Parts: sequence; structure tokens; C-alpha cells
Amino acid sequence: MQNRSAGKTVKRRGIRSLSDPKVVPYVFVAPFIVFFLFVYMYPLIMTVIMSFQQIDGPNHHQFIGLKNYQKLNTRDFQMALQTSGRYALWDVIVLTIVPLLIACILHSGLAKGSGFFKSLFFIPSLTSIIVAGIVFRLAFGTLETATMNRLMTAMGFQPVKWLSYAGPGNFVLILLTLWRWNGVNIVYYLSGLQSIPTDYYEAAQIDGASALQKFFHVTLPCIRPVLIYVITITVLGGFSMFTESVALWQQNNAGGVGRTIVGYMYMVGFKKNNLGLASAVGLTLLVLVVAVNLVQLVLMGFFRKEE
Amino acid sequence: MASNKIDRKKRTVLSVLATALMILVAVFAMVPFAFMFMSSLKPGTEMMRYGLTLRFDPGISSFDNYTALNTYRDGVYWHWYKSSAIIMIMQTGIGLFFGSLVGYGLAMYQFKGRNLIFTLVLVVMMLPFEILLLPMYQMMIRIKMMNTYFGVVIPYLVPPFMIFFFRQYCLGIPRELMEAGRIDGCSDYGIFWRIMVPILIPAFGAMTILSCMNSWNNLLWPMIILQSETKHTIPIGMGTTITPYGNAYDVLMPGAVMAVVPIVVIYLFAQKTFITGLTAGSVKG
Amino acid sequence: MKKLLALFLTVTMVFGLAAALAEDAPVKMTLWTFQELHTELYKTMMEKWNAEADKPKLDIDFQVFPYEDMHNKLTIALQSGEGAPDLVDIEINMFANYLKGDIGLAPMNEYVEPIEDHLVMSRLNNYAKDGKFYGIDHHIGATVMFYNTEILEAAGVDYTTIKTWDDFHAAGKTVLEKTGKPMIVWESADCWSVYPMVNQHGGDWLTPDNQVRMDEQVVIDTLAFMKSMLDDGTAIPCPGGWTHTEEYWGWMNGGNCAAVCMPFWYLDRFTNYMPDLAGKMKVSAMPLWADGGHKSAQMGGTGTAVVASSPNAELAKEFLAYACLTFDGCVTTWKICGFDPILKDVYGSEEMKEPNKFFEYYDQDIFAVLSEVLDDIPDTCLTEYFPAATDIVKTQMAYRLVELREDPEQIAKDCAEELRSQIN
Repeated sequence: MQNRSAGKTVKRRGIRSLSDPKVVPYVFVAPFIVFFLFVYMYPLIMTVIMSFQQIDGPNHHQFIGLKNYQKLNTRDFQMALQTSGRYALWDVIVLTIVPLLIACILHSGLAKGSGFFKSLFFIPSLTSIIVAGIVFRLAFGTLETATMNRLMTAMGFQPVKWLSYAGPGNFVLILLTLWRWNGVNIVYYLSGLQSIPTDYYEAAQIDGASALQKFFHVTLPCIRPVLIYVITITVLGGFSMFTESVALWQQNNAGGVGRTIVGYMYMVGFKKNNLGLASAVGLTLLVLVVAVNLVQLVLMGFFRKEE
Repeated sequence: MASNKIDRKKRTVLSVLATALMILVAVFAMVPFAFMFMSSLKPGTEMMRYGLTLRFDPGISSFDNYTALNTYRDGVYWHWYKSSAIIMIMQTGIGLFFGSLVGYGLAMYQFKGRNLIFTLVLVVMMLPFEILLLPMYQMMIRIKMMNTYFGVVIPYLVPPFMIFFFRQYCLGIPRELMEAGRIDGCSDYGIFWRIMVPILIPAFGAMTILSCMNSWNNLLWPMIILQSETKHTIPIGMGTTITPYGNAYDVLMPGAVMAVVPIVVIYLFAQKTFITGLTAGSVKG
Repeated sequence: MKKLLALFLTVTMVFGLAAALAEDAPVKMTLWTFQELHTELYKTMMEKWNAEADKPKLDIDFQVFPYEDMHNKLTIALQSGEGAPDLVDIEINMFANYLKGDIGLAPMNEYVEPIEDHLVMSRLNNYAKDGKFYGIDHHIGATVMFYNTEILEAAGVDYTTIKTWDDFHAAGKTVLEKTGKPMIVWESADCWSVYPMVNQHGGDWLTPDNQVRMDEQVVIDTLAFMKSMLDDGTAIPCPGGWTHTEEYWGWMNGGNCAAVCMPFWYLDRFTNYMPDLAGKMKVSAMPLWADGGHKSAQMGGTGTAVVASSPNAELAKEFLAYACLTFDGCVTTWKICGFDPILKDVYGSEEMKEPNKFFEYYDQDIFAVLSEVLDDIPDTCLTEYFPAATDIVKTQMAYRLVELREDPEQIAKDCAEELRSQIN
């Protein structure tokens, strides 16, 4: 309780205690600084160093300059880039919009039993992706008798070899991702929607705004912070996706259909035991994700507020 | 009066449409579980024979697979369960504490280096964890954290995604609340504890669920750290039941169903406490 | 400081006690595997070992990990020099990774060399470098043909008359015509079709000094033959992409395909996952190539290895030899795992004829088939770039051949180019 006076005297000179207003913010962020320095800094630097090395065992680290980065100019890696890029694009589109619409409907109270649905939609994200992957893999099997192909034939379409080609394969991946992450994003959006003061809507109502106008002029601006968050993690999740593709294709990767950048890194690092090259792949991925996200954040006006 | 009637009619139609849509989404969300549950009741060979079916066949369906979990490899399944639970609780508790603290600090205060720190948060958040595996592993050996639960938690002590989320959330909180707290004589920490934490409850709710989920399904890192079989978590254990060299569906399916149960319970609790009953009142500007 | 001292004292005491009780206290060891079935073999052999009076007692902690993760873990442990087990199962495709730079595994030469003539050495050569044998396999993995006699009989085909791949193709046409069912599947997502066929034909991906052989005529010819079967429908792409998927097992179990060409140990997959084919399946030798080649090919495998840095490395080696290189160990391997053991002496012995679930399922003298081909199994060339070659086969060669039906020559050339670019 002696902190009280310290909190009040805003303009005291020098640093006297943890309650000094100059110190307070640093106390709040200290855990991250410590964490970053001790847990992340060292491995990160090591990874950067390793990306310039040829590594054959604990005592065989040899600097080879940019050779690892030059080796990224292979068909395999480009296919992985394409796969991840295609997936990330659709991932961001689908996983930003669909959950937002559902969250809005749930929040509007139009649908009966919103609370029930809210709980229900979240449940898929609680399961192990390995097991869910088996279910999806079997449902989208290559055979005509597979569950989805039966449905396709019943609706008058040709059966599809879902997981054998890039396009349909990507579709199944997105569907699996939507199934699993839809509920999570809904929760994010709902937490944003619930913090919008109802009088904003009432004011819009009085101004005679239509439902769509309300959505674009009240809802969207108000949940912008949450929206930015969702897009940022979706971009990250999109580019660094791995588990989902493993769940669908296991470790096989016919035609590069299911191999993502992280999958490639994994294969190079552990299957081919080339940790130097794997580090180079990882750093490329890092640069890619950071770049795309920076563009996205600038476009969303994320940094505007700070000025 | 007339327009009011039309409105009501329109609303009813909309309501029916919305409900129908929600039911559709719900079916999409639940169908894989139905497959999973139905498969868990049948002998593994059935799945080989007929693939996925929702057919209930009283002749061969039973809860035998569930009781088999007790005997599978001397009941190791429940050890996995315990490990997963311990790690989840540790990881979530510590993560929430630090994550909210840092996120709040970044959102509510102006200070030198704020942007730098926030940029670092973003970078760490975007860092694919896999690329740090080897150096991280060497570090864990050096600080003697191998085969310990805490070793599993270390990389998640101050989760950047939580910092980011809490920061975003706090940006929506009016600064006046802080001023009001100061006037009431609260210290900055007091403001955080007594005023902000209650406001942040929905954020805590969302993060609790998310963290539990991440931890419960995390595979790669626990796999590296935990060595003895009895310390394995459920995903590691489940992974050992399906390999190209032998699939134990009899264990996998009931194991997967059982693994969903606790986390669903946590979710339902968290949901009740933090999300459903929430009024936006305290956040009103 | 106090803690350190206490720790030091404890450690000394433990070692002292261990020395004093050396007769009784079992030696603790750790074994990593990705194959639960193997642990049963080791457990049985450990019990037998411990029952023998002159052996120091063992207490092995068997740790089963998912396949990929176990290898990752081992890579990391050997790379960082810490945390490795005493014994470890390493999958054949991964093995070359652990023979780079400083080799972290212990050579088994003193156990292998004295009985060299009794072992199928082409197996152990897979795990060797510079004349040192680092891994011991449990099986030969000789590729054989599994025929569904019910389908063949319906088409009026006698599988024992199929001698060459051309016979096989011709029989396939009859089967397709009479029953509408394909003769065989080719994998589009893995190498279990392409590689054994190329290998049996006399080809391989690499020479021992890493010259790429992927675009040799023998590879092109093999691919062209496979494509000709795809073109007339006698072969189809494997449901699920490869023969280790639930989808394939269910489909095969439903009696939809007349044959599958896989290593000997695949008979265990039939007994486990395709119960409805019991009594209908027959094992036979692979058809032969008209223009030369071998009687079979070896595929798959696990080299069990001793980690060199283990404090009990010598004892671990002795146990490994006991479990995998002795007559009793090899017979036990057959009985528990259904593998074709690498010790030639066991074939024809009474112990191998005792009825078990495998004999029941196939109802034939399985080993007669095996001894037919045992003398002509080609070596495989598992250099450090073999994993890279396998990856190219999985991602490009098999996929482009089976799924996209591209020109075999073009595929072979592209794949060879890709592999060369990765080597240089």
C-alpha cells in the first residue's frame, strides 16, 4: 500500500522504486525481455550461424558461405513455396471471413440457441489433428467408394481423387483447417464483438443505417484490433502449416501436393540430416512471414495509431 | 404498426435462415466426431474392412475398446493423460500471467523502446518454432531440463501470441479507467490487478482455452524433451499407435475420444464463466 | 555448492554400490524404437538372456516413439552429443544419415565377421561403411508376390505358371477381361513399387561413389513396363497412394485386386489388416525379367544399432548379437514378428515349421518360396544420398509415372537431374 503515494507523484526525479512511473512499464514488459534474451535470442542466433554452415555431427561445423541459400533454387523447394503460398492465400481468405460471418450471426442473436452453437463450434479445435486427419483422409479417399466420392456421385458429379492433385488437395486442407480453427476464430471475433458498446448500434439505428452499413461502419472498425490479430496469426499459420498436411498425407508427398515449407525444412533437416540447409529454409520462411505480415499490418493501418 | 409487423415477419424469416445455417455448420463440426465415436466402438478390423461408416452394429459394437485402454501396455494411456494435464495446467497458468502483464504494459504505457519490444514480440510470434529445435535442445540439456515437465513449458512461458492478443484487447480499454484508478489512489499494479484484470476476463477466457488446446495437442517439443514412456503426453502416445508398421486402431479411436473429454469440459467451464455471461458493460467507453 | 557435493557423494555411492552388487543389480539400458512389435522380440530375448547363468542381468527400458519423431530425436541427440539411448532401431532409409562425419554408432564386426558365411550379407551391407557393420537387421525383406487365388481361379489363371513379368502382364489381361479387376497396384506416393522392380531388374539409384544411375536404360525400361500395365488397366494407381494406408487395406481385403508385390514381411499386414483374405492368399516368387536381373529385391528394414557413446556399449553389442544373430534369436524373430530372418541356418529347420498364425493364413510352405530366391538378392546401394534419391522417387518419379502417366524417359531424366543437383 505504500505504493499509493508513489503512483500519485507522477513527476518525481530519478528511479526510486518499482512504482516509479518511469519504471512501471518496464516491469510490465520485463518478463518478455528476460524470456526473449534467455530463451529465444541464443537459439535464433545459432540458427542464423548454422544457415551458413555445413553440419556433419557435433564437431563438424564448417562455414560454407551462402551455399545453403543457393541450394534453395531447386524444383522441390519451389514446389513447397507454391504449396504453402497457395494454402496461405486461401487460408487467410476463408478463415478470416467465414468465422467472422458466423460470429456476427451468433452475436446478433438471430439464430435460436446461439450459446449452444458457440460451444459446439469450438469442439473440433480440441481434438488431436492426427486423429482428425485420419477421418478426413478416409472420407476424402481416392476410391469411388470413399465417403465424399459417394456424395459426389449421388449429386451427379464425377468422383475426384482428392488428395492426389494440388487443387483438390488444397481444398481438403482448407476444409480441414476450417473445421479445426473455425471455432477458435469465432471465439476471437466474439470477444471483440462483445466489447462493442450497444449504444453505437443504437446510434446507427437512429441514423437509419441498414444492417450492412452497420456491419461496415460500426462492427468492422470496432473489432479492427481483433481482426488484425486473426489475420496475423492466420498468415503465420498459413505459411508455417505442417501438421495438417502430415495428417492428410502422412510423410508421403506425391508430386509435392502436400509438402509445405516447414515440411520441406523438416525433410531436409531430419530425413536428409542437413541442418545447415534446414536453417536456411527456416530463415527464408521467417523472412517471408514477417514480410507478408508487415504488408498486411500496414494495409490494415496497424501502425497508424502509434504516431 | 404495419411496418412493425413486416419487420417482425422479416425477423422470423431471418431467424429461421440463421438457425438453419448454424445447424449446417454444427453438422460440419460434429460429423467427424460421429465417425470417430462410432469407430471407437468397433473392433479395429471393422475399420479396415469397411472404412469409415456411421453404421451402428449392435453385434460387434461395445465399449470393450475403452476398457482395453486400461490394459494397453500396462495402462500407459493414463500416464500419458496425467502428463498432458500437468503440462497443460503449468503452461496455461504461467502463460496467462506473463502474457497479460506484458500485453497490458505494451498497450497502456508510452515508453522508450516500446515499439522495439513490440516488434520483437511480432517476430517471435512469427518464428516457426521448428527452426530453433536443435539449439533449444542443446540448451535444455545444459540447464538439465531434459525429461522434465518444466522443460516442456519453458519455450511457452511468455507466449507472444498472448502478448499480442492482450495488447490488442487492452487497446480497446479506455485510458480514463486508469486515470480513475489513480484518482482512487491505486498504484499502477493495483490498477492492473483490481481494475483491468476483471475487464480482461473475456480475454483470459479465450486465451485459457487456446493455451489449453495448444498444450494438449502439442507434439513436437514434448516429444524431444520427454524421454521416458510414462512421461509422454497423449499426442506422443497416440502417435506410437499409428505407424506404417502397425496400427492399433482399437486403442487409437477410444484414446482419441477420451482425450477430447477433459478439454471439452474445461472449455464448457471457461465458456460459462468468461464468455457467455459477459456483459460489455465494463468496457463501455 | 552443498548440493553439488551431495550430488557427487550420491553418484560415488551409487557407483560404489553398483560395483559391489555387480553380480545382482541388473544393468540398466534404454532402447528406442518406432516399431512396437520389435519390443516384444527384445523382451522375449531379454528374458532368455537373464535366465542364462553367465550373463550379467539386463534391465532394458523400451521406449516406443512415433516413426518420424524417433529419428528426429536420434539425429538431435547424436548431433548434440547428449541424450542418446544405448540401443536404437534405425529405419533403413534413414540409416545413411547416421553414417556421416563422426559416426555415433558402434561397429558390430566382432560378432558379424565370424559367422559371415551364415548370414545374408547383402542385408548387413546396407548398414555398413568402410567395412564396418553398424546395424543388425531382423529380416531379409526379400520381395515376393502375394496372389489372391480366388480372383485368379475365377479368371482361370494358375499363378504357378507365371514365370516372367510378361507372363504376369498376360495373366493380368485375362484377369481384367474375366473379372474386371486389376492385377496389381503401383504406388504413386511411395517407392515400394518402383524401387524393388528397378532393383530386381538390375538397376539402382546410385553407385557407391554417388554417381546417379536414375536415368539408365534399365530404369527407363522398368518404368515403361509399369506404364504399359497402367495403360491397359491391368495395373492401377494404389488406392490411398501406397500400400500402407487404411484405404488400400480395406480395398484389398474386399477382394478387388489379384496381386501385390511387397517384401516378405508384408505377410504380417495381411494377417493383421486383411482378415477376410485368409486362406485365399498365396506367396510366390517375383516374376523374372526376360532380359536378366535377379530373382528378388530387398526392401525395407530396420538396422538396430548400438550407440558408441553408451557407457554399456560392449554389453549392448553382446545383447544385440544374442537377440538377432543367434539361431534361437532368429527363430524367435519369425515366431513373433513373421520376418524372414537373416541367418541362413534357420531355413529348413524344424523350429521354423511349427504352426503359427502365418502358416494358418497362407496354408503353404512359405519358406520354400523364400529359399528359392535367397541366393539371388541384389545389393542395394545405400549411400548418404539414398534418402534424397528416395525422396525424389516419392515426390516425382512414382507420382509422374503412376498418377500423371508421363513419358518414362523424360521422368527418369528429370529425376536424375534433380538428384545430381542435390549432390553437387
